[in-house]
Amino acid sequence: MKNNDTAKFLQIKNLIIHYETGNGVVEAVNNISLEMNCGETLSLVGETGAGKTTTALGILNLIPNPPGRIIAGEIVLDGEDLLKKSTQQMQRIRGSKISMIFQDPMTSLNPIETVGEQISEVIRLHNKVSRSEAETRACNMLEKVGIPAERYMDFPHQFSGGMKQRVVIAIALACGPELLICDEPTSALDVTIQAQVLDTMRQLKDEFRTSMLMITHDLGVVAETSDNVAVMYAGEIVEYGTLRQVFKDTRHPYTRPLFDSLPDISKNVNRLSPIKGLTPDPSNLPACCSFYSRCTSREDQCAQIDPQPHDVGDGHLVKCLLSAEERRSYERTSGSKEPQKVL
Amino acid sequence: MSGLLEVKNLKKYYETNRGTLHAVDDVSFSVEQGETLGVVGESGCGKSTLGQTIIHLRKPTEGEIRFRGEDMSNPSKKRLHELRRHMQIIFQDPFSSLNPRMTVKQIIAEPLKIYKISNDKAALDKRVAELMETVGLANRFVNTYPHELDGGRRQRIGIARALALEPSFIVCDEPVSALDVSIQAQVLNLMQDLQEQLNLTYIFITHDLSVVKHISNNIIVMYLGVVVEKCSSGELFSNPLHPYTKALLSAIPHSDIDAVKDRILLKGELSSPIDPTPGCRFAKRCIYATEACSVSNPKMEEVYSGHMAACHNVREVNTIPHAAV
Repeated sequence: MKNNDTAKFLQIKNLIIHYETGNGVVEAVNNISLEMNCGETLSLVGETGAGKTTTALGILNLIPNPPGRIIAGEIVLDGEDLLKKSTQQMQRIRGSKISMIFQDPMTSLNPIETVGEQISEVIRLHNKVSRSEAETRACNMLEKVGIPAERYMDFPHQFSGGMKQRVVIAIALACGPELLICDEPTSALDVTIQAQVLDTMRQLKDEFRTSMLMITHDLGVVAETSDNVAVMYAGEIVEYGTLRQVFKDTRHPYTRPLFDSLPDISKNVNRLSPIKGLTPDPSNLPACCSFYSRCTSREDQCAQIDPQPHDVGDGHLVKCLLSAEERRSYERTSGSKEPQKVL
Repeated sequence: MSGLLEVKNLKKYYETNRGTLHAVDDVSFSVEQGETLGVVGESGCGKSTLGQTIIHLRKPTEGEIRFRGEDMSNPSKKRLHELRRHMQIIFQDPFSSLNPRMTVKQIIAEPLKIYKISNDKAALDKRVAELMETVGLANRFVNTYPHELDGGRRQRIGIARALALEPSFIVCDEPVSALDVSIQAQVLNLMQDLQEQLNLTYIFITHDLSVVKHISNNIIVMYLGVVVEKCSSGELFSNPLHPYTKALLSAIPHSDIDAVKDRILLKGELSSPIDPTPGCRFAKRCIYATEACSVSNPKMEEVYSGHMAACHNVREVNTIPHAAV
């Protein structure tokens, strides 16, 4: 790899993605910035509709257009801005440098092609190899994800859900991608199979030194796989930090209730505490903090200003006015300047 | 022991082209009034079939189902109609279990009409409004169609419909698994509140162990159509006895990042429930399996008071001396 370990491998800068529909503009991703190191696993956590999947599709330049449109921002992978690439260049990148595992293994495989052919197809698309060489490599990949190579000629319907997800993983890793995006990779699987699949993913990630962007709402999966965590709400990253920072030193008023609302096996509670209210309508976001309407620790100034992400120590970013320093800087500038929305 | 519902040696087999599929095989349990029995297991273990067989949506192949002491393994059509007033089901998928061509009001009122509880239009409207309030659906949705509502609200309609006849017993077949995580908590809380208010009895079928821990008094763990362990919810999570339960619990990812992880990784997947060979069904994946396991079916035995497990080697696996019962 070109870059050394200290350089940022993936940088997303001020990404804005909108869906322009007949009923107005849906602001799916609002000005998010993210950085990932080589070999790191970053988890995106949040409720449905928070913009997690849209962010992932944005990285791959797979936003359905129309209605989707990347309004602004940069996505820099290995020093190159992916948003400046042509369609053909992106096609070469997808599947070789960046791969994606989708949520539902039942629908992401071609039902009328054998699993082996589906793996070797990716290999032949991105590498100049002969048919038989691709076949050998595909067999190797099958073995790596724990499926006997004899099953090369089997069709997807002959596999169980967990096995199909393994095939999807084999396809995604066939060309040794540098970045693997996983959109709820195990939500459709039973726990014992989930444990097997996560274990396989961990091993392969170490073997190929792949960076992983993990989209999930299962905090257990996050805790077991991730180095860093980004919590998304209404298209924004409201809290970002290392696993320990976000889980043990939770700062944003959204993150704590989000954790509390999920049933958790390691907790003993009699009653869950759901977050009151609903996520704001993304086609009509408030100008102030987007969590204002549901926040339990809001103050008057929260209705006026849209806070900027702010470092509370060691790279732990929180997008909330209530972190002391941010408030101080607000008080210094209040009245003199309109809160600006960075574009 | 006479509970609200008693199930004895219940079997449900299906004839397929490849042989007899043992979906539910010799399952026995009882449920007390006001209690929640959790049924857990992986997909394909027969938990939904069990739920549907209990309320006679499917005819049992063999066995006994007693509801309030009355045998209902083979009721007449008329009697079944009467019994159904007292037992209802909430289905997994709020998207396909509601008729898309009926309004919320029509859906909730339908059971009331079928049982001719009120033919008076005003009384019917009043009852529907009451039910909607009970489940926390705003009255403005009364004339909307299911497709206009989100998953959480739709599941509330399903719950309101199940409550319409004031049943004492409800089978909940994965009622929250199709819902968004943030909505799950609301629906689970609602179901707990209703249970307290109306003294309902639930059979709660789910594959999500964190949900079942949260809501159940007692739990049965199923594997390929058979019950492998049965005990109180607290006991199951603190002291699982069956090797399958141990593996199942250890497979759940923990959100506590400081927890010590000691994972039993199961090899392979569920074997086929078609014409199963004698012996423990879990033997092929079990790390403790001995020869005896592939010879005879293990029987449910009470290892501790109120804690049953079906495993030949339960004492060896848990290092319990043989004398201690």
